[in-house]
Amino acid sequence: MAAVQETIDQVKKIDVDQYKYGFETKIESVRAPKGLDESTVRFISEKKGEPAWMLEWRLESYARWRNMTEPTWAKVSYPKIDFENLYYYSAPKGSEGPKSIEDVDPELLATYAKLGIPLKEQEILAGVQGARVAVDAVFDSVSVVTTFKEELAKAGVIFCPISEAIREHPELVKKYLGSVVPQGDNFYAALNSAVFSDGSFVYVPEGVRCPMELSTYFRINERNTGQFERTLIIADKGSYVSYLEGCTAPMRDEHQLHAAVVELVALDGAEIKYSTVQNWYPGDKDGKGGIYNFVTKRGDCRGHHSKISWTQVETGSAITWKYPSCILRGDHSRGEFYSIAISNGRQQVDSGTKMIHLGKNSSSRIISKGIAAGHSQNTYRGLVSAHRKATGARNFTNCDSLLIGDKCGAHTVPYIEAKNSSAHFEHEATTSKISDDMLFYCQQRGLSSEEAVALVVNGFVRDVLQQLPMEFMAETQKLIGVSLEGSVG
Amino acid sequence: MSIAQPIKAEAAGRPMTVQILKSKAETALAEAFADNEARLPGGDWLRQLRRAAIGAFTAEGLPHRRVEEWKFTDVRALMREAFPVALDANLPKPAALDALVRNALPGADLTEAFALFIDGRGAAQSGLSAISELDGAFLSQFVDHPPAWLETEVSDVSGHVGEATLALNTALFTDGAVIDIEKGREIETPIALIFADADKGARTVVTRNVVRVGAGAKIVLVECHLASEAARQANTLTQIVLGDGAEVVHVKLVASRAGSVHLGRTVARLGANASYRPFQLVSGDGLVRNDLSVTFRGQHSTFDLGAAALANRQGHFDTTLVVDHAVPHCTSRELVKYVLADKGRAVFQGKVIVRPDAQKTDGKQMAQALMLSPDAEFDSKPELEIYADDVVCGHGSTSAEIDPELIFYLRSRGIPLDEAQAMLVESFIGEAIDKAEPEAIQNALRGIARAWLAGEAHIKQG
Repeated sequence: MAAVQETIDQVKKIDVDQYKYGFETKIESVRAPKGLDESTVRFISEKKGEPAWMLEWRLESYARWRNMTEPTWAKVSYPKIDFENLYYYSAPKGSEGPKSIEDVDPELLATYAKLGIPLKEQEILAGVQGARVAVDAVFDSVSVVTTFKEELAKAGVIFCPISEAIREHPELVKKYLGSVVPQGDNFYAALNSAVFSDGSFVYVPEGVRCPMELSTYFRINERNTGQFERTLIIADKGSYVSYLEGCTAPMRDEHQLHAAVVELVALDGAEIKYSTVQNWYPGDKDGKGGIYNFVTKRGDCRGHHSKISWTQVETGSAITWKYPSCILRGDHSRGEFYSIAISNGRQQVDSGTKMIHLGKNSSSRIISKGIAAGHSQNTYRGLVSAHRKATGARNFTNCDSLLIGDKCGAHTVPYIEAKNSSAHFEHEATTSKISDDMLFYCQQRGLSSEEAVALVVNGFVRDVLQQLPMEFMAETQKLIGVSLEGSVG
Repeated sequence: MSIAQPIKAEAAGRPMTVQILKSKAETALAEAFADNEARLPGGDWLRQLRRAAIGAFTAEGLPHRRVEEWKFTDVRALMREAFPVALDANLPKPAALDALVRNALPGADLTEAFALFIDGRGAAQSGLSAISELDGAFLSQFVDHPPAWLETEVSDVSGHVGEATLALNTALFTDGAVIDIEKGREIETPIALIFADADKGARTVVTRNVVRVGAGAKIVLVECHLASEAARQANTLTQIVLGDGAEVVHVKLVASRAGSVHLGRTVARLGANASYRPFQLVSGDGLVRNDLSVTFRGQHSTFDLGAAALANRQGHFDTTLVVDHAVPHCTSRELVKYVLADKGRAVFQGKVIVRPDAQKTDGKQMAQALMLSPDAEFDSKPELEIYADDVVCGHGSTSAEIDPELIFYLRSRGIPLDEAQAMLVESFIGEAIDKAEPEAIQNALRGIARAWLAGEAHIKQG
């Protein structure tokens, strides 16, 4: 079956030539010299006022990166990236050092206002009653402002730029940085470890439920730069945190590299909810310009009964290549992955997740929806594996893809590896299999099967999506509601 | 890479960066070709194909885990040494040959039309001259001066030298069956191709079968690979061309034994309104890889695969298929079931490609594993590559142990544990075996499954 008209219209509304965040902020900036060698790494480290151990860590990563070759296995194609022709550090002038909101360049504030990001603490989100969100705004290579820091500190929650955490909380950073995504994990993670400039750091102490949503908003502005941010979130025993990430970039006719690393650690009984609205500039309709989004995101359910949940809405980037993953190390730990990836124009997506079951009775669920339109290629690639000791592991995977037009492609490449007889793995690609009982219930009450499916899909993604602090939220919700009719495995 | 030409987007930029080190087995195979080239059958045309193939093999080496299609079946690691190539079959007495044919598939009579191969060399045949258009059933009889179609078919498939095991087959095949069915002929008698061995030493056995089925013709092909007394490394390729409206049922049976390797491949090309229904049953404790490549060349054709595998001890069974929907309005169905005991390991890789013009494609795929032992392993990769927007394609993959509640239910009704488990396994595998045709053969296959289960009575509590 082909896609229904409503879906086609919805996807058209977010086509590549409809990109709304493509404006550029004219602001003076300080950049590192072009190219990458040891001196670039030292330059960044010095700019950040980092201790010696951090510089050493960076240099070690750089040495490893030097010896690695670029991976080519993904179903994406792009001209070779010239790593010597990039700026690895760019910061708005005068933005160094800690700042209060009053000190921030008004030009920057205007930029974020235009993007719909509230940087003033008294502001609340439009349309979300009573919800407050603490925001860390990262502009090119630096964090320009972090809101609600004091109030969070009262609860014991540390929420600050990672460069500040390296200075203020070295014991935590030393203990956890690189413990989920090691320096030499892969080519882009090694590059990030060497040159990462900023990002967010979150520590939620034992037993604390973070009093508000935390959010980081990434903006690439400068020409010819790569953005390499690093996010580290630690949820100590029994704690809970919900974290949101948004990203946009100006429209340019050059490709820009975004190679981030996100590490999540959930200890006993902790829960981390990580949501992303990825809306980097996707390039124009002929594939000119756009961001290469090559990101390593991984969560470690280190403790028993811990839980990590990834939710992502992907509409941007010329190329998206990432697999937010969960290592389910603790017994009874749980990993979840909900994703909607929509590709238009000449966009290429090779994304999915990995659920690595190591602990007993660990469980995971993967729901992925890919929609390909225009000339785009949209690939779901995922791994579900159960280690020999992961007795009682459970996984349910459902990935649907939908094609709009005959010039695009939708592909599914799941890897399912069961090394344990008590592991129950189900990989389903038929829409009617979401839950027959639920569908039957809905249909019995007069909903069509399509409405029933949409309702069920909405049921588990909407609660996260409603929290998204962005103008994009409304559109996202509509997209989730798009009909599944005509979808294929 | 598959027989199906990859779509350009995929072909672009996937260089192999892994340095290939020649293993002992690879060196031995390349030397086996150099030493025996003159003794391999075939005219100049084939000699050239063989040389190109061994060249490609020498460059590629045996497939290993860094080659995506062989990720879970690392032949380079699993096949440390290569056995000498079987060239001079020492044929058993005629009575012994008769017995081989009679017992090839217990419960089914395959004596009416068969070709028997001993250590990769045609040993006996019967009833085929009335069926096939050719004056003879052994490929070695024709490769010196082949009919034009045969040369084209063999060259066409052999041209895909990128796949190392296929290249090895082209370079070293000694014999195999060749069958040409006239258009419109409907033959109910199963045509059996039986592969057995006699040599007491460990041998490499390489065979190639070529089957052409004319428009509107119908046949049942049964391929039996009997378990060897001595260690065997078999590489066998069956290529089948179906004309418009042709119908082929193709049952393939592999009994594998520890220490032996079976690298099997089927390449099928379907015309319009054709129907190709293969069924594969693999059992035992050796290493078996079945590659199946199906290309639709005409519209409204159907491919319907059923497969069952019963692995025990160190059995490692791999089913890898590529279904290429190159034209619109075709249907593909796959149902694959694995039962894994002891350290049994199963691999399923199913790739369905729907090309840009192949609208109205209907594809469904299911791979399931039942794990009877905590040491069993199942690796599954059901893959879809879709470029057309008006299609229905789905796939599923599950793995689990026997539901203890079902066992409890049966035991509460007085059925002993062993029997209860056997019943549940049989019903699991039965769903796939039900797809096998005709009925006599289906019953024979069920018999094999039961025999395996009886030998596996001590399956551990689920």
